[in-house]
Amino acid sequence: MADFKVSSREQGQVRIIDVRGYLDAHTAPELENEFNKLIDNEQFKVVVNFNDLNYISSAGLGVFMAYVETMREHNGDIKFSNLKDDVYNIFDLLGFPVLYEFYDKEEDAIVKYNQ
Amino acid sequence: MFKLDIENSTQKRKLEYLILALIILLLYKFLYPTIDDTIFSIINDLFIYITIAVGFYYAAEFTSTKLSNPISLVLNVGILTAILFFLTSLSSVLFDSFGNIDEVSGLGYTIISVIVSLIFISFTTYILSAIRELFFLRQKRPTEKYFNIMLAAIAVASISATLAYIFKELQFVEKTFYVVSIVLIVLNSFRVSWIAFLTKRQKLFLLFLSSIMSVLFSLNAILLSETNIIEQVLFNFSTGVDVFIRLVMLYGNIYFGIVFITTLFHLPTAGAFDQKSEEVSSLIDLSKLMTQVLDFKELGDSITLATNNVCNSDSSWLVTEEDSEHELVSVSNIGYVEADGITREILNEIELPINKLITLNKKAVKVKIKDDTRTFMFHSLVVVPLKVHKKNNGYLFAVKRQKYYFDVDEKKALGAFADYAAVALENAKLIKESIYKERLESELDAARDIQSRILPDETPQCDELDVEALFVPAFEVGGDYYDFFELDDDKLGFVIADVSGKGISASYIMAEVKGIFESLSRVIESPKELLIKANDILKHSLGKKDFVTALYGVINIKSGKVVFARAGHMPLVVCSGKDIKSLKPRGIGLGLDSSEIFSTHIDNMEFQLNNNDILILYTDGVTESQNSNDEDFGEERFYETIVNNCNEELSLLTNKIFRKVILFSQDKEQHDDITLVLFKWKNNNKMIGEV
Repeated sequence: MADFKVSSREQGQVRIIDVRGYLDAHTAPELENEFNKLIDNEQFKVVVNFNDLNYISSAGLGVFMAYVETMREHNGDIKFSNLKDDVYNIFDLLGFPVLYEFYDKEEDAIVKYNQ
Repeated sequence: MFKLDIENSTQKRKLEYLILALIILLLYKFLYPTIDDTIFSIINDLFIYITIAVGFYYAAEFTSTKLSNPISLVLNVGILTAILFFLTSLSSVLFDSFGNIDEVSGLGYTIISVIVSLIFISFTTYILSAIRELFFLRQKRPTEKYFNIMLAAIAVASISATLAYIFKELQFVEKTFYVVSIVLIVLNSFRVSWIAFLTKRQKLFLLFLSSIMSVLFSLNAILLSETNIIEQVLFNFSTGVDVFIRLVMLYGNIYFGIVFITTLFHLPTAGAFDQKSEEVSSLIDLSKLMTQVLDFKELGDSITLATNNVCNSDSSWLVTEEDSEHELVSVSNIGYVEADGITREILNEIELPINKLITLNKKAVKVKIKDDTRTFMFHSLVVVPLKVHKKNNGYLFAVKRQKYYFDVDEKKALGAFADYAAVALENAKLIKESIYKERLESELDAARDIQSRILPDETPQCDELDVEALFVPAFEVGGDYYDFFELDDDKLGFVIADVSGKGISASYIMAEVKGIFESLSRVIESPKELLIKANDILKHSLGKKDFVTALYGVINIKSGKVVFARAGHMPLVVCSGKDIKSLKPRGIGLGLDSSEIFSTHIDNMEFQLNNNDILILYTDGVTESQNSNDEDFGEERFYETIVNNCNEELSLLTNKIFRKVILFSQDKEQHDDITLVLFKWKNNNKMIGEV
């Protein structure tokens, strides 16, 4: 099984989460941990950079659903950027673009936060 | 059982031999009560020695069962000696010795003589057998021949006594063997290593017991060599037996004398020896625990408790290591928080991983507990790695707070103990894992069972519409669901859904989804409205992370008109001849959003089927099946397979798609359910329509 890596970095007021590899039921808890840390530190403006993500399963999608409410309640959000076409298709099929903001580039998402 | 039977039967046979020997002896004694003839005297002794030999052989049956408790064996011997002493001294006080032995005769005398002699012979034989067991107890080297040589010397001395009585000129032979026997008895009396293994209390008791017994044996030996009534009765019974009993009494005297002295010398070290045997029994207890205790925490508690016994430490605690993460499992005689803090400090300080026991003497450890910094002073602290198959599973800590260091022996014992503990912990861990796996498996069985009961048993049958469904569950149940609803004579409702998540939780949601669709399909005609309603219901019951993708539609089997709506599910595929298209109206997954957004972003889609058109519903298990290069089966291959086989029977087409998917992903485990539902519409009104 290809592995999964998650890390996060600061970009002004915005927190960027980089996800790599395969996000599925077995690796989703790592991403959850990352979100928990952000909430503990009261960082609610999040951009998830999907540049190196190859696959996302329904359990992976569930992580965003679980945390987006908390972020939005605190004037923050979860925005997505740099998705590969096939990963975007999965989101699209489910109707995520109606509920979440997707950007081609990470910077665009940050700009949106700073407006 | 079988072995036991054999033992019982050999024991029985020994008893039979003994009874036989006794009967022969008694018969002989009553037939020829007095010995005044050479031949008769020799035969008399022969029968007696045979009886003694068989008795000795039989006595081992009892004495050998007491090997685990030598003290009780010694006590038995002591009681018998005391009885013999009592009999001898009492009778010599009550009766005068006979003036002339030859004058004694008569049936009364014979009976008393036989009883008294047999008592002495049997007791002496048992005593000899008991001493023999003590002799062999805890002997590491084969020493049987020394004992047997001594027995032979005693036997020869006894026999020669009989002969010397008859042939006076042979008296020097008797004397010689008597002395040889005594020398051998003395040499053989030094086999007393079993004393070392007794506890201090047992040693004290043995000291007391052996002093009395040695004296009793010596008194018996002296009384039997003087002229008194018992001695005379025995002498009359058989000259040789008299010598035999005297020699055994002498043996008892010397042996227990040496036991007394040895025990005396062992006493000062008895405490230390107890300590050692405590360590050993702790190890044995632990190895028993290994097979009995399955609970990890309980085992950890036993280990820390035993650690303090093994190495005389004041406190000890156990830390497990997994993926460089340390977890405190159990503490003994120290606070949990304290031990946790100390562990962290120590493990930070020493260079990990360690391969053998390390010792830190006069160690001060500063630990931050909440807002407090506390300093712990340890006179000596040892850390032992718990290694199994070169893999480190954790560390065992033991500390002495005051005054003493761990000595070499304590460290060695702790090292050996840690090895045992490591194996025990590893076993407990493996068992825990296998129990978890088993539970997971039974949970999955339950999930599969639920799923198979939720899915329809058969597809609807009608002239205008062929229906085929294929469902292949993944090992971890995926949560796929499909169903058909006969709404009226013309209309057939159909649904395909995929619940996010896997296993038993997915199958419960599936059951709920089935209930929702089954009831809503009877009251709401529009697929879009039905899905909006379904979303309303599900949003309240689904967890935050859960969602369901679904596609619901109604097909008019008479007219070929299809209406459907999609809630985040894979598109509906329609194949007419070589023309294939996927229909994907707007619509987000059920449970993703509860607000207006769901209802304002979903559309119905309507279209008209032509003769032999094929409708395909599927779940992502089909298109996301992967090969060993992590490539998806994908929509392109899927469509191609459909188009290439669209003229085949519907069941054959279904099969071909499935085989393509399986062949493509044969090197990889199927990790999601695969569901395919196909409809082929046949226009029975075609002729009429054309007219």
